[in-house]
Amino acid sequence: MATEDFVPVSGDDWYQRRRKDAEGRFFMQIAEQGHRKGAGNDTRQGIYVFTADGEVLWAKNTGHDAAYTKGELKRALAQYQRLPAARRAAGAVTVPVHGPLDTNYTRTPPTGGLILKVNTRILDKKDGAYTKGSCDRVGGAMSARDYLWLTKPEVQSLAPPNTEEGFTYDVPKKLADRIARFNLVDNTRGEPLPWGQQDVRKCRMTLTAVGGNAEYIELRLDGEAVMASDADPVKAETGYDVRLLGKLRYVLAKQTFDQFEVAAVGDHWGDGPFTKGARPGRHPLGVTFGLVTGDNPADRVPPQAARNQDDYFGKASK
Amino acid sequence: MTRHRFSILLTAILLIVSGTSAHFSTRTTAAAQAKPFLSDAQFAAVLKTVRPAPAEDAFAEIPWLTSLWDAREKAAKLGKPILLWEMDGHPLGCG
Repeated sequence: MATEDFVPVSGDDWYQRRRKDAEGRFFMQIAEQGHRKGAGNDTRQGIYVFTADGEVLWAKNTGHDAAYTKGELKRALAQYQRLPAARRAAGAVTVPVHGPLDTNYTRTPPTGGLILKVNTRILDKKDGAYTKGSCDRVGGAMSARDYLWLTKPEVQSLAPPNTEEGFTYDVPKKLADRIARFNLVDNTRGEPLPWGQQDVRKCRMTLTAVGGNAEYIELRLDGEAVMASDADPVKAETGYDVRLLGKLRYVLAKQTFDQFEVAAVGDHWGDGPFTKGARPGRHPLGVTFGLVTGDNPADRVPPQAARNQDDYFGKASK
Repeated sequence: MTRHRFSILLTAILLIVSGTSAHFSTRTTAAAQAKPFLSDAQFAAVLKTVRPAPAEDAFAEIPWLTSLWDAREKAAKLGKPILLWEMDGHPLGCG
């Protein structure tokens, strides 16, 4: 239904309601007809059905069951079909040229860099093997999503300076810390806060050449990190004590990676202001990283932490 | 010292001297020789367990656009209404 009868689009309200460009103005025109009209600077999140010329047919906050939402979408679709044909015919609406983007509130993947999809899930350990974890929080056991954007200089900094098997070198500290702060987080119950730099108590990642040929070099990533809200992780209310293992492949001619599979597992504890309901105590949390091409629009969604792009990329590399 | 290790050491020294190794160390010792903390089978199992199982993310099978303006243009061209899923934290990339 969503695919056949509608043009489906998703967005991050944090950007949309702040944008000072044509898209931002159009979004606010829609939002001001919906369930959150007059909300000032506050959130407009929800599900909206509307026409290309900007008339809202239905809007509601999220959180309703699928059957209810499907019924409402059917009603909205019927309402659309009752509009005059002159408004809903293919090509009837002329959309103006967008004009300049508000670069303060738009994000695009770094040119020449890499996009990694990041998944996170609570785990249990049974008979020495990690299994999907369980928790009382609705949706809390599902695989959570985020992204990691690597800039071109960061990709270059990971290139093997020596292709000889067994050669080991450090992932640059700044990049390792960036991964730890923004991606080794528990986002399984919603929007997390990143770790502050001061929370990174230990973080080291290395790459080791483990094979290859004239075309590519196979690398193993080893890492360990401890993020904790207290200098003494034993006393910290929130923390993550994690080890990483990765299998990467660097293509010499392209000077980039065509494989970047990383698994991180360790004990996590505590929750954040927007992610209440963590399992009490310390339990395994798994994080995985894998390359995506960015051809799918969904894979160009900015990393959650890129809202603050100075902090995300570091001011020096902005 | 084996010939292999000598070769690596020599390369490392040359890299340091040439100033091209600012960001990496030149060890070939502990990290290279240490056993990974996950076996190949465990590594594959963690990747599979953490990532969404087939059909777990049914919503992700919908071909969501991520530009409202692109969606508006497409809707106008096709004569369809727009379905917008808007969250504080992108629905396709936050939690």
